[in-house]
Amino acid sequence: MEPTPERKKGVQAYWYLLLLPIFAVLSVVEFYPLAYGVYLSLTGPTGGLTLSNYSQMVADRNFWNSVAVSLTYSSFSTALAIVLGLGLTFLVTQEVKGRRIFEAIFILPMAAAPIMVGIVWGPAAVWDDFQTFSHFVLGLPYFQEVQILFYFPVMAFSEGWEWAPLMMLVSLSIMRSTPKEIYEAARLHGATSWQQFKMITVPAVLGSPVMQFVILLRFIDAMRAFEIPLSWSTWVGFETSVGSPVDTLSLYLYKLLFIPSFGFPLPMVSAIAVALLVVTLVSATIMMRLLGSIGR
Amino acid sequence: MKSQDEGKAASPKQATGRHPERRGNRLLLYTAFILATLYSLYPIVAVALDGMDLNLAALFAGNQLVYIAGVPFHQGAWTFNPIAYVDALTFNAFPARVTNSLIIGGIAVSTALVVGIPVSYALARVDIKGKSVVSFVLLALRTVSPFAVVVPLYIFFNQIGLWDTYPGVALAELLLVLTVVVWMVKGFFADIPKQIYEAASMSGASEGQIFRRVALPMVIQGIVITAIFGFILVWNEYLISVIMTGPFTKPVSVGVWSGLGATNKTPDFVELEAAGTLAFIPAAIVMLAIRKYLAKGFSLGAAK
Repeated sequence: MEPTPERKKGVQAYWYLLLLPIFAVLSVVEFYPLAYGVYLSLTGPTGGLTLSNYSQMVADRNFWNSVAVSLTYSSFSTALAIVLGLGLTFLVTQEVKGRRIFEAIFILPMAAAPIMVGIVWGPAAVWDDFQTFSHFVLGLPYFQEVQILFYFPVMAFSEGWEWAPLMMLVSLSIMRSTPKEIYEAARLHGATSWQQFKMITVPAVLGSPVMQFVILLRFIDAMRAFEIPLSWSTWVGFETSVGSPVDTLSLYLYKLLFIPSFGFPLPMVSAIAVALLVVTLVSATIMMRLLGSIGR
Repeated sequence: MKSQDEGKAASPKQATGRHPERRGNRLLLYTAFILATLYSLYPIVAVALDGMDLNLAALFAGNQLVYIAGVPFHQGAWTFNPIAYVDALTFNAFPARVTNSLIIGGIAVSTALVVGIPVSYALARVDIKGKSVVSFVLLALRTVSPFAVVVPLYIFFNQIGLWDTYPGVALAELLLVLTVVVWMVKGFFADIPKQIYEAASMSGASEGQIFRRVALPMVIQGIVITAIFGFILVWNEYLISVIMTGPFTKPVSVGVWSGLGATNKTPDFVELEAAGTLAFIPAAIVMLAIRKYLAKGFSLGAAK
């Protein structure tokens, strides 16, 4: 029984009605501020349309510094999260007693707020004990925590530490939808559990559009990382200076706005934030594609 | 290099006898488990203990204070001193932050549910024109730099007096939770078999009735899980909160870093650790309770 055209039209209108409330809310709390930000970025010091904020941004060495910092930080931490997550996946898929409990333990870092992660992996928490152990037990000299070769990898590592459990959970969910027969066959051919993991699980997980989607999302989130670099800017003494190796894009913008000596350069901050929308548009396009291939 | 004989000899006694694995591998595996457990738990435990001045370094060195590059290191002190925890929990400091977080999270999540559930339902059920535009906008909001939205919002809310008010902060947090809520609930709606809608339609139910009486009750558990998940996101969120809140609405996440009192200050490290631990415990309990759904939540429903 085909619905009559009028009824069909009414039904169509019903679906658009469902979209109305979110559109109203988004207009006030997202679209209007975004438009206002674009307007601010195009406004000169004496009013009037200008591109000078953008040329100022392009000429700003500290801006390019934070782009480089964010890209490095994001690549490192995402790669670490994948590697660590796959390692945890290997462990919890082994047939040992109490692996459910271990799975629960391995999830815990994800429950820590990012600001807490900045605290737990800070010099005065974990590294305090570590320094004492390596100095008094192993007899090694103290290492300098304010050196970039120490703190930058630790920052990226702690971001990876927090999100490795997510990679584990996603890998496990992909493994559940991988046919069991493949593992059975591998086992019958005498493959060890490590070989099964290396030759079946890893390719299946990394080849899955679900995992690729999660990796992309994680990379974008790490590009916006703020709390861990904020805490490290305190630990290594970059609270009030810009252009340092801990200044991710978010931290740089935050410092520009909230350190009084920079004079609240709102137009330039808006220009950078608007320019970053390019990243958003590209990533959202890729995410749409991936979601399409997942069929969701 | 594997020794088949040893594997065969060991296997009948083991519960996992199907694996032709050596005992040495087993030992290696248990070592890996211990290391992975330390890696996951030790930093958190160390901070929780540091908050009570219980410094594990005391195992290796006596009580001494060493300065390394100007940073003081307690080289161990076995003096149990829970003053930071007691301080946080009394003087109304931590409870006040928790109340704020609960109110902000509650308003943000319930608003996201009210405006988001109809959208998830529409996206899961029909192919209407403009569906891909809606999806794209929501995904883009998930990846936008907070500064592009929250800073103009901060100025706007300051003008109309919404800055440092519960509704103002909660509305700003929608940037974080709205996409997550829509996508996660959409996943639950998509799990409903098509035949159910067809049957309801055949028996004469209108679209409105199908939504309220058929679809909604079937995903109620999913909605509760989504709400809990969205709430943890707000609980742990820092950047939007620190811009949008002042002395009145200051939540837990901001209090962990800038002191639990109403005004911001640089707190003592032990205070940070105690407050951080107190904020972590409820988040960890809740996350473990919904851990089957975490992959779904963090992947916007892409993972099942």
